[in-house]
Amino acid sequence: MTVAAGIGYALIALGPSLSLFVAVISKKPFLILTVLSSTLLWLISLIVLSGIWRAFLPLKSTTWWPFALLIISSVGFQEGLRVLFWKVYKRLEDTLDAFADRVGKPRLFLTDKMQIALAGGLGHGVAHAVFFCLSLLTPAFGPATFYVDRCPQMPFFLISAIIALAFVTIHTFSMVIAFNGYAEGNTTDQYFVPVVHLVAGMVVKSASA
Amino acid sequence: MAVRPLLLFFFFAQVRLSFSGELSSMESIPDLQESMYMVVDGYPCVRLLNLSGKIGCSNPGREKVVASIRRFRNANDLTQLTAVLVSLDELQDLLHRSIHICFRISNDVSFHKNIVGVLVESGAEIRDKLKGFSPTQKFPQAEFAPYPSINYEWNSMGSGIMLKAYDFPVFLLSESSTSMLQEVADKNEKVMNGYTTSVAEFDLVMQTTKAGTHDSESCLKEQTCLPLGGYSVWSSLPPINMSLSYQSKPIILLVASMDSASFFRDKSLGADSPISGLLSLLAAVDALSRVDGWNDLNKQLVFLVLTGEAWGYLGSRRFLHELDMQSDGVSGLNSSLIEMVSSAVNDALDALKRAQDSLKSENIEVLSSNSSNPGIPPSSLMAFLKKNSLTSGIVLEDFDTAFTNKFYHSHLDDMANINSSAVVAAASLIARSLYILASDNNDMHSSVLGAINVNTSLVEELMGCLLSCKPGLSCEMVKNYIAPANVCPSHYVGVVIGEPSFKPYLGYVDDVSRFVWNFLADRTSTPKENASSSCSKDCTNEDEVCIRAEINGKGVCVISTTRYVPAYSTRLMFESGIWNVLPPNSSDSMGSVDPVWTESNWNTIGLRVYTIQNGAYDHFILIGGITVTILAYFMIALARSLITKALKRD
Repeated sequence: MTVAAGIGYALIALGPSLSLFVAVISKKPFLILTVLSSTLLWLISLIVLSGIWRAFLPLKSTTWWPFALLIISSVGFQEGLRVLFWKVYKRLEDTLDAFADRVGKPRLFLTDKMQIALAGGLGHGVAHAVFFCLSLLTPAFGPATFYVDRCPQMPFFLISAIIALAFVTIHTFSMVIAFNGYAEGNTTDQYFVPVVHLVAGMVVKSASA
Repeated sequence: MAVRPLLLFFFFAQVRLSFSGELSSMESIPDLQESMYMVVDGYPCVRLLNLSGKIGCSNPGREKVVASIRRFRNANDLTQLTAVLVSLDELQDLLHRSIHICFRISNDVSFHKNIVGVLVESGAEIRDKLKGFSPTQKFPQAEFAPYPSINYEWNSMGSGIMLKAYDFPVFLLSESSTSMLQEVADKNEKVMNGYTTSVAEFDLVMQTTKAGTHDSESCLKEQTCLPLGGYSVWSSLPPINMSLSYQSKPIILLVASMDSASFFRDKSLGADSPISGLLSLLAAVDALSRVDGWNDLNKQLVFLVLTGEAWGYLGSRRFLHELDMQSDGVSGLNSSLIEMVSSAVNDALDALKRAQDSLKSENIEVLSSNSSNPGIPPSSLMAFLKKNSLTSGIVLEDFDTAFTNKFYHSHLDDMANINSSAVVAAASLIARSLYILASDNNDMHSSVLGAINVNTSLVEELMGCLLSCKPGLSCEMVKNYIAPANVCPSHYVGVVIGEPSFKPYLGYVDDVSRFVWNFLADRTSTPKENASSSCSKDCTNEDEVCIRAEINGKGVCVISTTRYVPAYSTRLMFESGIWNVLPPNSSDSMGSVDPVWTESNWNTIGLRVYTIQNGAYDHFILIGGITVTILAYFMIALARSLITKALKRD
């Protein structure tokens, strides 16, 4: 492919997040900070996970359960981190509300809270897309293309860009749903998010193994 | 709220889209890059130049050539730039047509304009199909012949394609690459109207093309090329005593050549021509080294292994020139001592006959050549005769009126083209004849001759070392003497690196020359009374040389007269870092017709194959990405307005 195709793949993976950033996040500096910190948190979770799993990788097993274990533990860890993120957010919310009371300004609206959740989710999504798709895209700027045997109809880079787009969406919206669930104590929502994350992870991993 | 179902909808839609296609065996980006670009091992045809122009192949400019791969026989309607995959018989046809392109007024022009690269198949069945293949002339190096019949066809298979210039890259594929590329070409045929195609990327950019220097003189001046040449080796049996100021014994010179040529630079094996001669010489030296009493014989033997003979008799001309100049490297040899006696030829023929008789049990026959031949076949003796037409010499060949080697100067002249028993027979004949000539004794006991026997296993081992890749130059015999730079032997003469000298830096001397030097030095050495001293470069005694110097700790000084002689054109002189072309000299008649071959410099040479998408698909992807981004923006704006409206309602 060429530079045109490379830029195209990058836009497919990260274009909507760019639009979201420009339309919603960039208007409020606090949201930008939230995006950055959640990105950082997600990357730290990956580093910790890879540190723990380093001893067992690469998994040369032909059976499916080591891979399943890998996915389950990773997703579980990240969901646990999400709860932690929620608790930190709760404390932050109290601080912000107290500050607002002191200076006589209105407290956080529902839309503000959802926007913070959205920004948190976007941070996770962007980190996933950059880490799992953008880093693979360097060869896409060269003259050659690449097709995998398991899916000969689309170039590999297109597949990875679309998967990255899917994960950006999942991460962004699941943070909103999860925060909503924790705030209202709605257990359906609280379990919905980890289950979907796990299912998505398993689908991608099973298709590749 | 109404927002949740909306979010859920997007969510599920995206989950279904995340379907498949991750990699399993790759672990990093460099691995991905490697699997995208397949490096093909191929042997290129490179650009060589002479005083009047150029020959060989090169990319037409400074860029790599990229073209989709098709088979030649399917390529009748070429609309786009193509790299054709040809077999050897198709190659000759293709190259002939591209030479005569100017004279054809037909749609062949467009056909040939679209062929921008050539890949040549190789395989065992190709050799069986062909009667013969020789890309050089029908009378190789006719301009150097000491007789006027330059139209005589010594090499009936000669097509001359090697000596023309082509503006496109040509690569010879190895056997594994051939099958791989045949699959790729067939796949390209099937998906002809798709949006992907497999292409070959040729990197054969030659510096002379970039610099615009299209003949030897200009390219040597601009330093975009180097002259062809190497290092010949001579050795004397018995070793010459340097302290004697006057050398008086007449010399019998046994000459062989160690370089060949081919259309493809790195695949010049030259098994029949000339390596079979070199093997016979080495085996004969080995047989004669086991004979005692050389100092008592009337004549002296000198073995001379020349290089550069395929490119203008560089080795022999330079050797004779240095003999005239009485240079250090040939001290001990006096050109007047090389047999000029007119009866010498008859003596040699008698010696050969006597040797043949002593070998009667082994089915060997020596015959004079046909009287309809115009003279001697193309060989180093031509240079000796041009220097002094009274020189007595014999050329011993395995053919009579024309070459029997059907693959002369081609990449197919390999080990399958020669027979080890023939080499052993020739070596035995030569060894015994030389002994007879040197001893000049008419009543020699047959037992003396009968003791001179060639070691058959030595010949077979040398064949494996010098003519194949397994074991190649990493065989025991070669590794005993030198540390070879390559495993697969190649007998292309190469270029002269640095300043030519009689004591060259060994890194600039090629593997075969160094091996021959060490082998001859070892075999022609006389045993020392005292213990041999170890050495790593030179020996203190003028009569001694250091053999096995490259093997750590194994270098020893032996008494031997074995020297390197540089081999390069007599029309060239190396002065203060630059090669200068000298004007033709009336005393050097061969130099006046010397083409002065040089080889262009290059940066890298490579061949890669990969898949590309056509430009429309790339733009489609780009537009898709931009669309997705803009669509997302509008959806977000819409969502925001919906949410604001919903909130206002609350």
